[in-house]
Amino acid sequence: MSDGQRSGEDDPARASEGAVLLVEGLVRRFGDLTAVDGVGLRIEAGQTYGLLGPNGAGKTTTISMIAGLLPADAGTISVLGRPMGPREVEVKHHIGLVPQDLAIYPELTARENLAFFGRLQGMRGRQLIERIDEVLDLIALSDRADDATKDYSGGMKRRLNIAVGLIHRPALLILDEPTVGVDPQSRNAILRSVEALSGEGMAVLYTTHYMEEAARLCDRIGIIDSGRIRAEGTRSELITLIGGVDTIRLTGAGPVEESAEALRLLEAVDKVGVEGRCLTLTVHDAPTTVAQVVTTAARTGLALDEVEIVRPDLESVFLHLTGKALRD
Amino acid sequence: MRPVLVIAGVELRRLQRDRSNYFFVLVLPLLLVLVIGAQFSDDSNGRVAVAGGESTLRENLVRALRADDVEVTVASPQTVREKVARGRADVGIIVSPQAARAFATQGDLEFTLIPGVRSDSPALLHRARSVLSRLTVQSGQLAALTDRGMSREAARSALADAAQSLRRPTLEVVDVDESAQEFSGLGQFDVGARGQTLLFVFVTALSGASALIRTRRLGVLSRTLTAPVSARQVFAGQALGRFAVATFQAVYIVLLTAVLFGADWGSPGPVLLVLLLFSAVAAGTSLLIGTVADSDTVASGLGIGLGLVLAALGGGMIPLELFGSTLRSVAHLTPHAWAYDALAQIRGHGAGVLDVLPELAVLAVMALALLSLGTWTLRRSTARGL
Ligand SMILES: Nc1ncnc2c1ncn2[C@@H]1O[C@H](COP(=O)(O)OP(=O)(O)OP(=O)(O)O)[C@@H](O)[C@H]1O
Ligand SMILES: [Mg+2]
Repeated sequence: MSDGQRSGEDDPARASEGAVLLVEGLVRRFGDLTAVDGVGLRIEAGQTYGLLGPNGAGKTTTISMIAGLLPADAGTISVLGRPMGPREVEVKHHIGLVPQDLAIYPELTARENLAFFGRLQGMRGRQLIERIDEVLDLIALSDRADDATKDYSGGMKRRLNIAVGLIHRPALLILDEPTVGVDPQSRNAILRSVEALSGEGMAVLYTTHYMEEAARLCDRIGIIDSGRIRAEGTRSELITLIGGVDTIRLTGAGPVEESAEALRLLEAVDKVGVEGRCLTLTVHDAPTTVAQVVTTAARTGLALDEVEIVRPDLESVFLHLTGKALRD
Repeated sequence: MRPVLVIAGVELRRLQRDRSNYFFVLVLPLLLVLVIGAQFSDDSNGRVAVAGGESTLRENLVRALRADDVEVTVASPQTVREKVARGRADVGIIVSPQAARAFATQGDLEFTLIPGVRSDSPALLHRARSVLSRLTVQSGQLAALTDRGMSREAARSALADAAQSLRRPTLEVVDVDESAQEFSGLGQFDVGARGQTLLFVFVTALSGASALIRTRRLGVLSRTLTAPVSARQVFAGQALGRFAVATFQAVYIVLLTAVLFGADWGSPGPVLLVLLLFSAVAAGTSLLIGTVADSDTVASGLGIGLGLVLAALGGGMIPLELFGSTLRSVAHLTPHAWAYDALAQIRGHGAGVLDVLPELAVLAVMALALLSLGTWTLRRSTARGL
């Protein structure tokens, strides 16, 4: 809470300046359980923010409050500088929500579903028809647009679920684990359309427990667990944050022990482990050190078969911060 | 207003996509009307079994009885006796060969009448007697005319002309019993159709509660609320869809009973107004259940149970006119009783909108209260988040 207020520098208008979404100190309890515990985040136009966390972390609860479905117990939400909550009606124009579970009418066609939600957003006539075609194109469903959605494959339903959130060109698009249970092809299509949307200047809030997705899509990532944001930043900031160490693995024939001795003397190398024909080096920044390491090993007479660089990923960041794995 | 229409429209379209709804909306009411018709519009004035060989007399007798809406079967004297004894016929008539001959030659007519055991067979017996005496008189008249030198053909046509210009006496039955007075002028059919229509419209509307539960389960309802619409608009839209269906059904049943069975509902304007408000109450109740109950089965159980209990209390099964005064007050906790009263006044006493204003006002208040309560429970049901 105090963090959010300080960054606001006593002037809420300044804090939300340029921000499409600004959330501060958000709290939601269900009985004894505090599902969301002081979440704050800020997303600007064209930015994609990833909320990365395991099952039950509080991602959906956070989103429900931002979309105005669930009242918050504490904290503030503003969208384009205007307060947002369950009783706000007009602000909802700027938000597009793609819920985690499919929320489309199975009896209706894709076109009818899109038309319904478009009309609820106040769209009509030619403008609506054109936008529906545009969105159908974006999610590659044009050829099945007039079939009842209950006959769609899982991936097609997911894509339509996303399209419904986009129909009114919201300033803020919220996607709650949009790729769960989707085949690789549809998943790729979904990720590509999210990239395209953020390229068009949409602010995107994307929750997932797949770190590859967060790494690929998101400009900033918040790591959430038990309702709290444990760390936040760009991918490399997060890795640096945990004092990210890289690993270089050398495999080769020759005087392994001697090479290990020589490598230990290098300043860039922290630790060297030996296991049979394999040397494992802990270094600060593998890309800049690797040349020196390879030269040194060669000088001691080691004939290298293989050089492998292992860098920490968000998974290890997560493990480091929460002591648990992202997926259960 | 537009979001309300958009939501109502999409609900109707969904309804239309599911073929089984055609059965519930179009076919089932028709079946209901036929059942009501069979129950209450039994126009037959009883069953008469006639015995006797082929003769002009027998033919005339059968024709005259049928003209009086009596069901007639022709059989051997033995079978006729059996039929009456077993209750398959209410009255038996045996036309002897002598009588048949006497009819042809204008002699004296003699019949054997066998009365049945059914409580209303005295009435039928009476009817049969009057038919027989009419035949006897006719044959006497014919004899008198031919005796005066008229040809048989001319005599017959003169008699037929006379029968045409005769006016049958109208009988007015005056009841002393209070409830009988309330029913006076009404066919049984009118009363039965009124109560059962209310019952049916309410029960089928309540069955719509499960549709709302499905919408909630689909997550579409929550998603609808993320659009710039208020909970009140969402509820009103859902209600409007249900309301349109209930009103359609009510009007459809009224028209069918009127066209198929000649039921008389009274002046159409006020009847429509009552049906509109009653349908609104039914739709509101249905949606309230749909937002409170969490499962399909609970909703349909609750819907049918509530629908039947309210109908039984409110005159949907037994006409309100037969209720005691205490029970009548209880009955007026239900929308059915108010709608029933209004319809009874419109039909029985030719009441206009102004005369049934209190009933209409009560129904309107009920509908508004349900709409407000439903909006509140809807908001609560979606405030669990996604
Ligand atoms: N309506 C509710 N009533 C009670 N508890 C709830 C409710 N909604 C969520 N919770 C609890 O709040 C916690 C956070 O749930 P939430 O759905 O926000 O997690 P999530 O991060 O979206 O998880 P997932 O990845 O599985 O979707 C969970 O422990 C959940 O059981
Ligand atoms: Mg979730």
